[in-house]
Amino acid sequence: MTPDQVLADVRVMLIDIIGAEYALGLDISMATTFEADLELESIEFVKLSAMLTEHYGNRIDFVGFLADKSLNEIIDMTVGEVVTYIAGRIDATTAVTVDA
Amino acid sequence: MPEIIANGVRLHVQRLTPSHRSRTPAQPVVFIHGLGMDNMSSYYYTLANPVAQTGAEVIMYDLRGHGLSERPQAGYGVADSVADLAALLDALEVDGPVHLVGNSYGGTVALGFAVTYPHRVASMVLIEAHFTVAGWAEQVAAERDRIGSDAAGGDLRSWLEQLGRKVTRLLAMADDLINRTTFLDDLKAVQPIPMSRLRTLTCPVRAIYGEHSDVVDYARELDAYLPHCELTVLAGCGHSVLMDATAALREIVLDWLAIQASVITP
Repeated sequence: MTPDQVLADVRVMLIDIIGAEYALGLDISMATTFEADLELESIEFVKLSAMLTEHYGNRIDFVGFLADKSLNEIIDMTVGEVVTYIAGRIDATTAVTVDA
Repeated sequence: MPEIIANGVRLHVQRLTPSHRSRTPAQPVVFIHGLGMDNMSSYYYTLANPVAQTGAEVIMYDLRGHGLSERPQAGYGVADSVADLAALLDALEVDGPVHLVGNSYGGTVALGFAVTYPHRVASMVLIEAHFTVAGWAEQVAAERDRIGSDAAGGDLRSWLEQLGRKVTRLLAMADDLINRTTFLDDLKAVQPIPMSRLRTLTCPVRAIYGEHSDVVDYARELDAYLPHCELTVLAGCGHSVLMDATAALREIVLDWLAIQASVITP
């Protein structure tokens, strides 16, 4: 799965969370930050994580992804960091499946 | 979005299950957040994922009126919070004992739950826990009046626009909770848990307070309330230990849960 495809999924989820009206003037790209650009509430980030886990299932491991991060590292993340992680994991799991 | 109807209220719940299971503590770890502007995310950003990563099952929820849970008009006393938690665990079919981690008011709820359902609690981690909520509603009310008069003195709309989407939404939520529910009255009506009942608690308890916290006096009284409690006072910290000393707290909580797991696993 390419980062562009994942970004498209994440964009739909984020617009759902923050509301189409607020998202209207926003260009959600890889460089967009959750905190400074989207002003995402902490609880909305939790909601996004849950949506991603539901969408991609056990192909991604958000618990592992966030477990080693500090509070500030999570808050300062860009959309691109999450997208890159997901795209990388899905490629890795797909590769394992093909090998098997 | 995972939602559970518990005690007649729609609660937002998140369960984290680890991708790999190592030394799995047999009992789930339930996180209870503080009052007002707080919600489960303060755990999601700090302790919940590291705990889940050790192999424990993590349960987080937003208290009624908070986060993404329903905000009913009434039911904001400690007894209501305890009943909500009991009903939530019932709905999740968690019958056995759990580890409770409570921050601030979440600690009050954990203590209330433990004296009501001692058999359902394996251990408790109390972070900056209030043993009573006396005087609390008055503090919240004073803060509301201060914010209200600040807002009245200026242009509310520009004030909110300056703060941005996130803070505005949090303030609107808090305003709704304070002004359109029985939140303050319910808190005022709460009776402290009698010391005689706290003394009956036998489960292991770990307490953490900040040296400069406004509730650190509770730490000094712990010997009287909970003689078996293990206490750490974190130097240089205020009330927001969870945010200001996350790394130290994470170490304490992970060690504590590992010890509890080794006790129950022969």
